[in-house]
Amino acid sequence: MTRYSLVELSRRRILLVFFIVGAAGIALIAILLKVFTTALTGNVSFGGSGPAPDPVTLNRALELGFVSDIISVLGFFALLIAFGIGMTVIYHDLESGAAVAIFSKPVSRAAFTAGKVGAAVVAMIVIVGVLGIEARLFMFLFGTGDLGTALSAEAVAQVANAVTVMLLVMALSTWMNNIIAAVVAFIYNAAAGIVVALHTQDQAGLLGNNGVLKTALDVLYWVVPHQLISDAPREIAKAEFALITASTRDQGGPSSDQFLASIPSASGAADIIWWAFVVLVFASLVYFAVRRRQV
Amino acid sequence: MAPVVSVDGLRKRYRRRDAWAVDGVSFALEPGQAFGLLGPNGAGKSTVVKIIAGLLRPDEGKVELFGSDPGNPTSRKDLGFAPEDPDFPKFLRAGEVLDYFASLLGLDETERKRRIPETLQFAGLDQEKRQVRQFSKGMKQRLGIAQAILGRPKLLILDEPTADLDPLGRRDVRALIDRLKDSGVAVLLNSHLLSEVELVCDTVAILAKGRVLKEGTMAEVVPEGRNLEDVFVELVQANAPPRDQLPSFITEKDKPS
Repeated sequence: MTRYSLVELSRRRILLVFFIVGAAGIALIAILLKVFTTALTGNVSFGGSGPAPDPVTLNRALELGFVSDIISVLGFFALLIAFGIGMTVIYHDLESGAAVAIFSKPVSRAAFTAGKVGAAVVAMIVIVGVLGIEARLFMFLFGTGDLGTALSAEAVAQVANAVTVMLLVMALSTWMNNIIAAVVAFIYNAAAGIVVALHTQDQAGLLGNNGVLKTALDVLYWVVPHQLISDAPREIAKAEFALITASTRDQGGPSSDQFLASIPSASGAADIIWWAFVVLVFASLVYFAVRRRQV
Repeated sequence: MAPVVSVDGLRKRYRRRDAWAVDGVSFALEPGQAFGLLGPNGAGKSTVVKIIAGLLRPDEGKVELFGSDPGNPTSRKDLGFAPEDPDFPKFLRAGEVLDYFASLLGLDETERKRRIPETLQFAGLDQEKRQVRQFSKGMKQRLGIAQAILGRPKLLILDEPTADLDPLGRRDVRALIDRLKDSGVAVLLNSHLLSEVELVCDTVAILAKGRVLKEGTMAEVVPEGRNLEDVFVELVQANAPPRDQLPSFITEKDKPS
């Protein structure tokens, strides 16, 4: 089941297009930044009136910018690929009638679901993994590459987040048209993202002391999937802060704590357990949707 | 001899407000027997075969496939089902589809290597390199029959198997049914082509609006000197509101301009 579902996915043009666009996007960002490094060395400064940065500082700033952009690109394409896979992997078998021949064989709906979910997750890991490897290769263009580990951790977090969205789309597309399923999942995902972001702001004390709002956000936070976050955003922010403070010495400015207040810290054990629980719930939803489906 | 399939008082409707798609159907099928399920469009034939194949759940009644519930995957181990308008994962090739289904049937590598090329050859798809999405309806129907026989079934359900086949393909399917019957395989044939059913089936049931109108051996259902089509039309028309012949505009004469 998994093997031929993977063969099917590998021949789907839409996934190939997403992959090519993602790979080209990463390459483009890297090449543009390399061109800027070469062209702008000695002509820019941090903090406006400060001295022009040395090439090492500029290289460091561009590396941070690159990693930050790559994280955004990886996240975006992981989500696109999650929708691409989730909308097709089960839906097409059910809608085309292929499921009629498949379900008449001695295979249980649980095995069918497990095979499809397995194939979808493997495809997601392979596609985002290859994009992540490409990004790391390009990081060698920028020297040290000490944020490579942070990038890898963030790629893992992006895959984990995309898997929850993909499972939701798979479950919904077993009940309804796959485009409607994708729209519903998109809205749900966006709403969950807003809840998590507001909760983070609240935890950082940026939303005041409204008790009702605090309780509401605490409750909502534990009913939506949490986006897993690696320590990459915080590491990048710290490095950027260090770079800014180094180049604007003696001019005052925000403290490190103030600067990092709105940057979420890496997901803890509770968030990871919650993610695993959400994945289990969504995978069960896929199974129950497949089990109930009469073909 | 234990029946391969027994259906008793089967009832099914798709939604509560709908009429029964299948209403009290009962029959049994023994090894080596070819059973024809006949009826006009919407009679409930495909619903009956889908319930037997474990694809739909009955609302009432009892269905046993090799002595157990068709919803149980192991009961479908010896079932071959060629659905009406078959389709398959569209980005796979014919050989890959058969290998995929062979894996679902639990066939080992040696058996796959032996059976798949022969089955493809039987279906006339051994030279076909295109993906299923580029197949014609007839080619998909051939592949549907190929996957149904791949597991050497003890019960073969053919739902309108020859609808999209050319005359040569139809002859092959008739020959296949004869060969399978001889080797003790039970065949459940659901077809509109009454002449075909008359040629290959031992027993028939005629359905309309989900109910069995007549059932028995071919000799019991079709009296001496008549054919199955006459009996079928007579029975179905007697149980259906009369239809107008042709739309009136078809026979209108052109007015002189």
